[in-house]
Amino acid sequence: MAKVLIVDDSRTSRKMLRNILEANGHEIVDEAVNGQEGVQKYQSCKPDIVTMDITMPIIDGVEALKMIKAMHKEAKVIMVTAAGQKSKMIECIKEGADDFLTKPFEQNEIIEVINKLMS
Amino acid sequence: MFDQIFGNYLVSTKRISKEQLEEVIALESTIRVKLGLIAVTEKLMSTEQADEVNNLQAVMDRRFGDIAVERGYLTEEQVGQLLKKQGNIYLVFVQTLMDKELLTLPDVEAALAEYQQLMGFTSTDMDDLVSGDIERTVGIFLPEADTLYERLCGIAVRTFVRIINSGAYVSKAYMVNEIHADNLAVQKLIGDHAIISGFAGAGNSLLAISNPFAKEEFEKVDLDALDAVGEFTNCINGLFASELSKENIEIDMLPPSFYEEPVKISGNKFCVFPMVVNDQNVNFIVAIDEELNVE
Repeated sequence: MAKVLIVDDSRTSRKMLRNILEANGHEIVDEAVNGQEGVQKYQSCKPDIVTMDITMPIIDGVEALKMIKAMHKEAKVIMVTAAGQKSKMIECIKEGADDFLTKPFEQNEIIEVINKLMS
Repeated sequence: MFDQIFGNYLVSTKRISKEQLEEVIALESTIRVKLGLIAVTEKLMSTEQADEVNNLQAVMDRRFGDIAVERGYLTEEQVGQLLKKQGNIYLVFVQTLMDKELLTLPDVEAALAEYQQLMGFTSTDMDDLVSGDIERTVGIFLPEADTLYERLCGIAVRTFVRIINSGAYVSKAYMVNEIHADNLAVQKLIGDHAIISGFAGAGNSLLAISNPFAKEEFEKVDLDALDAVGEFTNCINGLFASELSKENIEIDMLPPSFYEEPVKISGNKFCVFPMVVNDQNVNFIVAIDEELNVE
């Protein structure tokens, strides 16, 4: 079972992820609606895994990933992307992203990625 | 999609009822198109010849194609070509209408000719429409043969049919410089092209997108419902950006914007592509390398 922090500006995506993860025995420790809040909430709840949307207002997912990894090298961050964000994905890999999930979400893909990071 | 587009035209001209159309569409998957119908619609045989072969088939226990070849109406090669067309949606739709005794082939052909004239379609356009191919269908409903508009609208319709509702269909798109909408979810794309795309609705029509996408039962188009529409738009734009990236065209997406109050959408020129899903009209709005203002 993983403790997961969901960072996404879309309520729809947060709810979809929460439903899938909880149905598969994982715990959502908190949610954040932008990168800045995501970094703050990471510090306070220390999740096992963060799902981090790339396209967000205030601070986007790439910046938030950099900040979290700078402070907590061991953090496990899964980047959430729409198809077509190739250059952003390359940037995320350089900044230490642990894996990727693509929207629209596929339950099997999400669980596989989470289980892989937890093993 | 042909069945929905042309079927709804048949309903609007009172040739069949809405309930009959729904029944026909529900039956399509069980229908195997008769070779005689295909041969007649392809103008390889007359109706009389097809009827004659059908009658012979009843007493000879032989295949339609074999008898037609033996009688000299078709060649072996033509039979092969006709067999390949048995899954064509136009033929399936016509066969189902005939089996239900709602319309005859001449009725359908007359209605199709009338529809062609009404829409101003060429015979090539009609070939595209009856092909049932979404890409080809989208092309004839767009006002400008601009490949980027065509490609983005093509992805939007395919994604719509795949994720939202397989019975969705389109009507003729148009270029405008101003429209009004009760609510709107749009997303800006920046990079090698400046693109704005999204969905505008009237009343609660956008629920036809938000509810199946989010798998929720929103009762009105509020910010939560628009968020779901925005996420769906994000999926469409992501697929479009992905396709362009294969040609080294870089596009990046910004967070979607939502408007739950009535808005005026204006600009120099943008495309409005109407889609119909569950009797609800929604407009796919696209501006490519053109200004688009929302107020």
